[in-house]
Amino acid sequence: MMSPTALLLAVLLQVGAPTPPEAQAQEAFTIGKMLRCPVCQGMPIAESPSPMAQDMMARVRSMLAEGQSREAILGYFVERYGEWVLLEPTAKGINWGLWILPGVALVVGLGFVARTFKRQKPIESAAAPTAANASDTLKAIRDEVEL
Amino acid sequence: MKWRNVLWVAVFTLPVIFILALGFGHDPHEVPSVLPGKLAPNCQLTDLQGKPTSIVAYRGKPVVINFWSTWCVPCEAEHGVLQQAAQNFGERAQFLGVVYQDEAQNAERYLKRKGSTYPQLIDPSSRCAIDYGVAGVPESFFVDPNGIVADKHVGPIGPADLARAVNSMLPRGTP
Amino acid sequence: MISLLGRGLILLALLAAAFGIVTGLVAGARKSEQGLHITRRAALVFAAAMILANLTMEYALFAHDFSVWYVTRVGSRSSPNWVTFVSLWSSLEGSILFWGAIIGGYIGLFALLYKERYQDYVAYALAVMLMVGGFFALILSAPADPFKPVFPVPSDGPGPNPLLQNHILMALHPPLLYLGYVGMTVPFAIAMAAVLRGKLSEGWLKPLRRWTLAPWLFLTVGIVLGGWWAYEVLGWGGYWAWDPVENASFLPWLAATGYLHSTVVHERRRVLKVWTLSLVIIAFLLTMLGTFMTRSGVFNSVHAFSQSEIGPIFLVFIGVMVLFSLGALAGRSHLLEPEGRFVAVVSRETAFLLNNLVLLTFTFTVLLGTVYPLITESFKGVKVSVGEPYFNKMALPLGLMLTFLMGIGPALPWGRSDAKALWKGLGFPVSMGLGVVGLGYLQGIHGGLSLTAFGLCAFAATITLRELLMPTVKRVLLHRETWVLAVVKSIWGSRRRFGGYLVHLAVIMVIAAIAASHGFKTQAESSLTPGQSLSIGAYTLTFEKLNFSEEPHRTTVAAQLRVQKNGDSLGTIAPAMNFYPTQREPVGTPDVRTFGAEDLYTSLMTFEQDGSRAAVKAFVNPLVSWIWWSLPLFIVGTLISLWPQRRARPAPTPKAALGAA
Repeated sequence: MMSPTALLLAVLLQVGAPTPPEAQAQEAFTIGKMLRCPVCQGMPIAESPSPMAQDMMARVRSMLAEGQSREAILGYFVERYGEWVLLEPTAKGINWGLWILPGVALVVGLGFVARTFKRQKPIESAAAPTAANASDTLKAIRDEVEL
Repeated sequence: MKWRNVLWVAVFTLPVIFILALGFGHDPHEVPSVLPGKLAPNCQLTDLQGKPTSIVAYRGKPVVINFWSTWCVPCEAEHGVLQQAAQNFGERAQFLGVVYQDEAQNAERYLKRKGSTYPQLIDPSSRCAIDYGVAGVPESFFVDPNGIVADKHVGPIGPADLARAVNSMLPRGTP
Repeated sequence: MISLLGRGLILLALLAAAFGIVTGLVAGARKSEQGLHITRRAALVFAAAMILANLTMEYALFAHDFSVWYVTRVGSRSSPNWVTFVSLWSSLEGSILFWGAIIGGYIGLFALLYKERYQDYVAYALAVMLMVGGFFALILSAPADPFKPVFPVPSDGPGPNPLLQNHILMALHPPLLYLGYVGMTVPFAIAMAAVLRGKLSEGWLKPLRRWTLAPWLFLTVGIVLGGWWAYEVLGWGGYWAWDPVENASFLPWLAATGYLHSTVVHERRRVLKVWTLSLVIIAFLLTMLGTFMTRSGVFNSVHAFSQSEIGPIFLVFIGVMVLFSLGALAGRSHLLEPEGRFVAVVSRETAFLLNNLVLLTFTFTVLLGTVYPLITESFKGVKVSVGEPYFNKMALPLGLMLTFLMGIGPALPWGRSDAKALWKGLGFPVSMGLGVVGLGYLQGIHGGLSLTAFGLCAFAATITLRELLMPTVKRVLLHRETWVLAVVKSIWGSRRRFGGYLVHLAVIMVIAAIAASHGFKTQAESSLTPGQSLSIGAYTLTFEKLNFSEEPHRTTVAAQLRVQKNGDSLGTIAPAMNFYPTQREPVGTPDVRTFGAEDLYTSLMTFEQDGSRAAVKAFVNPLVSWIWWSLPLFIVGTLISLWPQRRARPAPTPKAALGAA
């Protein structure tokens, strides 16, 4: 049984950086992953087997061959299908909430954690074991040793 | 029982419930329509006889573009409605059919059986369908005489809706 | 006949539940032993009725009894036996019936196990469980009645959705997921019993932990198997799409994982009592949310059952349960005060707290992304999509934080820490992490994020392995024990710890796999005539021919491809497409082969009937198999952790000793 490092080494030797495929095909794939297939359930057109998605991918490729930029191609589809066709909402207007709120939640949570620490009882008043909860305490000690 | 705390819980959780309730009545599968109000994309297609046609060629009168296919069940239902309307409106409006995700020979066989009073165009690689933001069939687009998309109808269309949509694009006072 | 029997059983279950709720709550409030016994009986009746109802439906399916409505929906004479068996849960009403069987099973088991113990709590717990079970019985009796009689009786049916017939996993993934999902009801009831009782004693903590850990394991396995199904069945090379229903199964998992960690802090320091209970409650509420999402028709998902009318009722139930559970907890939080305190900031307790913080932020983010389209559509009339790119972007930093915490947590001591000792302890793991980063860089991996991910995984794995092996090594070196004995004894001595760290290793494997498969996936596609080849990475795929096969319920077309790597033949692969008479679109079956640490993944896109051409898409996915291989670690780790302790026997009293003399 190899150690994790040796295993990872073996993997990395095989994996490495990808041999770059034709740059346009890669860009087409990247754009295709950002566009939603209109006839599938939330799948990007780059990954959907449906003929409509394939046709849309063909359109993306032909637009790239014409020299159009990523923004232009994405804009083309948004013009026709609406914002809905982008799998990632643009960061404007109300969509800011989507991008900002998780970070806000993390910060607010951190604040709660800090508050929990500050708002504690002083050490003196921590409960001392009494006869009544002796067995509880014994169990607690046993559990403590375990973990 | 600290009721104030209960109130806080309600304040934070009921909005989530409310948001979920908003979802009722909306069809999550419906694709939004953004084309109305914009210039109708010009598709250069050939009809089933091989004659090239473009949408722009019909500028000057209202155009009804209907995307359909032979494997689509609701399309069959509206086929007769469209044919009849095309005959009723005659020269006043132009009807065009675009075959979506289908083979030319399938369409030919189908139309031989059911007949067609207006040009039927074949759309290789769904180029035209993508241009129009089509997400399924049948879908009908109403283009006014200036080439602006006036309306889009998703699903099979009935005679009343069809007549209303075309009439609203005709200049005032036309018989 | 069957219709009548089925409906009768559901009604019986409903009545037993209603009865049990009342007696349970009263017995709990009055601490009545007799009330408890009555409640237990009612719970057992509920369990039996639900399980029998399910058996009745299975009988109807196998007998092709098309006078029963559900059978007309999913039954078919041409379905193979295993498909008939799984069609029980393949469509909406059947899935709810199956839900009922699982909760009945859990309730019955709980009632049988706790006859004499925990008398303070069991009545309350059963009452709460029956509230949930009773609600499902209610739905089954009216809006989603699978036993409705049908007249005239048709001669055959359409069979279940073909997508669900493609792979044997259909038999495993839903039941396992349900065992996890539905199982969260039990710890929820245990937590609610503590809230209703107004105290959380030592003894009651153990069942709470046990009954969370078991469903958690089922949920983990269910989710991973679901990923495997998506990978093997759907032809797009992915194992997770952040589909709303996938998220629905992930949300309770996150909350339950949070609980599993916060309870450790609670048991150590007697703090976070209310927080720990609320995590269990939130996990359950999220399972209710998930069940709602799959069946309400509100969400666009690959998994969603068809639209139904049960959506609004479900939402009302969720609202009621939210107010009841979180409300009661909040209202009685003063009865569950902490008895201890945190001692220092740089400590293992803090690492646990941060773990909870990250997990809850993750939960919030996934929930936000899933319901966001609803918000924009209702308030602005604009439809937006929140798909993979968003969730991946958000999950990345959170995942990295969790990996870091998995490393630093075990390295920190409980309570106060000694800075010097801490640095010494961290020296080796940190150098391992940096070593992997350097190695990666030399191998050509220049992406900062990928390097960070691999480095953190190495860091965390090193610390975890050290914690796992240290006790054994100590025993061998200090006590001169044999290796085998040392391993067994150190595992046995601290099962929870050992099991927990094994699970951590499994999680690290999954994170490493995700990092590798996202950063270094390659793909290629081509349309091939016989003899033509497609090359991807070091592999060459040569199209040989098409194979057609007919089965009673489907036709399969497979493209036979020869695989070569650097000139050596690696055999043949055959991605296929399945055509079902009831569906227009075919269902693809990709062919996935693992060569070393990477997967060669191929799917058939289109083909010519005469076999002259086949369009094939191929991916090379590194390390994905690690995700599946993590499962045995998850299972073994959790089982070790769950293994029961010897129940403490009271010490012999002096009287007995005197008596002997």
